[in-house]
Amino acid sequence: MLRTNFLGLELKNPVIVAAGPWNRDGVRLRESIAAGAGAVVTESIVSDTMLDVGPRIACDDKGAQNIRLYSDIQIEGWEREMKIAKSDGGIVIASISAHSPSELAYLASKLEKFGADAIELSVSNPMLESLEVVASHADVIYEMTKAVSEAIHIPLIVKLSQNTTNISKVAKAVREAGGSGVSAINTVRGILDVDLEEARPTLSTYGGISGDYIRPMALSSVATIAQTVDIPISGIGGISSARHALEFLMLGASTVQIGTAVMMQGKHVVSQIVKDMDAWVVSHGISRIDEIRGRALENLKSFDEMRYEPFVSTVTGVPCKENCSRCVETCMYGAITKAGNTVHVDRTSCTGCGLCTSICPEKKLSLEL
Amino acid sequence: MNIKQIAKTAGVSVATVSRVMNHPETVAPATKEKIEKVMQEAGYTPNWFAQGLNFNTTKTIGLVIPHMLNPSYMEIANGVEEVARMRGYITFMCNVQKDVQTEREYISQLINRRVDGIILMFSSMEREYMKRIQKEKIPLVFIGEHKSMPKISSVQVDCRAGAAEMIAHLIEVGHRSIGFLQGHDPEQECLQQLTGYRNLLKANGIRADEQLIVKTENSIEGGYIGVKRLMAAGRPDAVYATSDEIAYGAMDALKDSGLSIPQDIAVVGFGDDRMSNLIEPKLTTVELPLRKMGIYGARILFDMISGEAKEERQIILRTRMRIRKSCGHKERIGEMF
Repeated sequence: MLRTNFLGLELKNPVIVAAGPWNRDGVRLRESIAAGAGAVVTESIVSDTMLDVGPRIACDDKGAQNIRLYSDIQIEGWEREMKIAKSDGGIVIASISAHSPSELAYLASKLEKFGADAIELSVSNPMLESLEVVASHADVIYEMTKAVSEAIHIPLIVKLSQNTTNISKVAKAVREAGGSGVSAINTVRGILDVDLEEARPTLSTYGGISGDYIRPMALSSVATIAQTVDIPISGIGGISSARHALEFLMLGASTVQIGTAVMMQGKHVVSQIVKDMDAWVVSHGISRIDEIRGRALENLKSFDEMRYEPFVSTVTGVPCKENCSRCVETCMYGAITKAGNTVHVDRTSCTGCGLCTSICPEKKLSLEL
Repeated sequence: MNIKQIAKTAGVSVATVSRVMNHPETVAPATKEKIEKVMQEAGYTPNWFAQGLNFNTTKTIGLVIPHMLNPSYMEIANGVEEVARMRGYITFMCNVQKDVQTEREYISQLINRRVDGIILMFSSMEREYMKRIQKEKIPLVFIGEHKSMPKISSVQVDCRAGAAEMIAHLIEVGHRSIGFLQGHDPEQECLQQLTGYRNLLKANGIRADEQLIVKTENSIEGGYIGVKRLMAAGRPDAVYATSDEIAYGAMDALKDSGLSIPQDIAVVGFGDDRMSNLIEPKLTTVELPLRKMGIYGARILFDMISGEAKEERQIILRTRMRIRKSCGHKERIGEMF
């Protein structure tokens, strides 16, 4: 039921293990495949390996920051690693990163020769290499995509950045340049936290933020592309459960990629997500996962299309919990009062903002016309 | 011991032993180590001469370098050598001392010694001679632009864009009168920078003052003398040098004349030499991907040697600006991202 066709590749499920050090060589890629992934993406392969800086990864319970995670294996060595990665079958997507179109074309054609099933251009990393700035321009992305698409015969995915004025324009440039699909989003430039005693950020330079922190941005990028450009999308950004994965699919993604969850929890998270997705699909009587793709988009309108509805908050199932008055304290319009265990909403003061429906831990408030 | 006995002792096939010698990058590191250990213990070395006769290969490439004392050229050579070693090749390095006759002699020597391919770094060989070499059917790659053979396999850096970006930066900082210290080595790359300089001035409505373009030798001394001539011809707000070495010499001369950098005059270089980040004030410069030039030069050469490359291929690399202190830039925006 989870089977899907992505860019002409037959995936047993839409869950892909994203590019990163957890896929740093053939053996690790094979492990990710064995964990049940529909496909795997290599750690980003570059023109010349670089010295690793350290420390370069930090995390908390909501996500992670990384600094420059690139493959430390030269392209020459990837002939051997690809062979190992593909030795048990499985679909391997090679991620590449470089500054000039001809370098990217060279790396892509080599990896195609070594057996990669598709190429992912990672040209939006928010690192010192300035790629993020470069790759926020649709014309640069066009040039890079075109050079690679002309050099290879396998599908080409371009990984896009959230840090751009208009992600649809960039996605459109990918399509016009011959790209087969896009993945969104890359990590977002950020600083995880600051040690107050030492007056020192945890990592010593700006890095890419991933995990829960960026999921809402990623969902919005995926939805925006899905609503404006006709191109297959692989959704990335803070996916650690089947629910998250399904959200991305419902907003138009064809596949999803898991990175930070694998890094923070281990590869078993992949099999758990696949199992839970399967259970959800069965319980909802869905025969093919593709049926849910983009289903939530019809309920996602532009601001202009929103209707002015006279919503007001209504309380159901009183009495309320004795020691909680969060709805009263947070109502910015002064519409909610509480007497004893009974909550009352003044329908003339309520403007229908909806905050109380999210705030109430018991979900006793809802909006009605 | 011969190759069959090595294979038997190591418990692998003859083909695997052969791969260790011919394509070591395709063998898993553990297996390669095991086989190499057996070979070492048995004192086995392949007979390269016999192999040359059998397979028409000598497992050697030639690398022709303009001048060995130039650290930039050595950085490029380092990239070439690394890829060659990964492929199980030895690199002959030939130092031509910027002399065309020596370069010719070395090239014909390399061909006579049956190298499998040749890389020419910033070659000034004339077109007729190059055509003759191409007839020998020996794989040939240029590092750097060759003025009369743009279609040949090569690795180039977009120096025009690099220079233009730097001039744009100087104009943004507020400099209008910008002197240009032009080295002649490597020639094409310096000319490309000059084109970038002229284009950017024009785009900003600044007339290029020919008196502010001074040709000089590519060295610290060249920079020292060049900037003195430049200051005598006019008094620019900023000095652009086509190499970091020229910039060092220029800074030295300017300090000697009692000027402060960047308060009185800005200086920028080209290359991102290691010293550029150590001198005071730290030099704003353009980073050249030197090692990568060598790596890609060797990569496309080996693609030709293996017969994988079906046509001539050009790899164009990009530069990157390194904004430090010598340009008078007060904010660190460009430095951070």
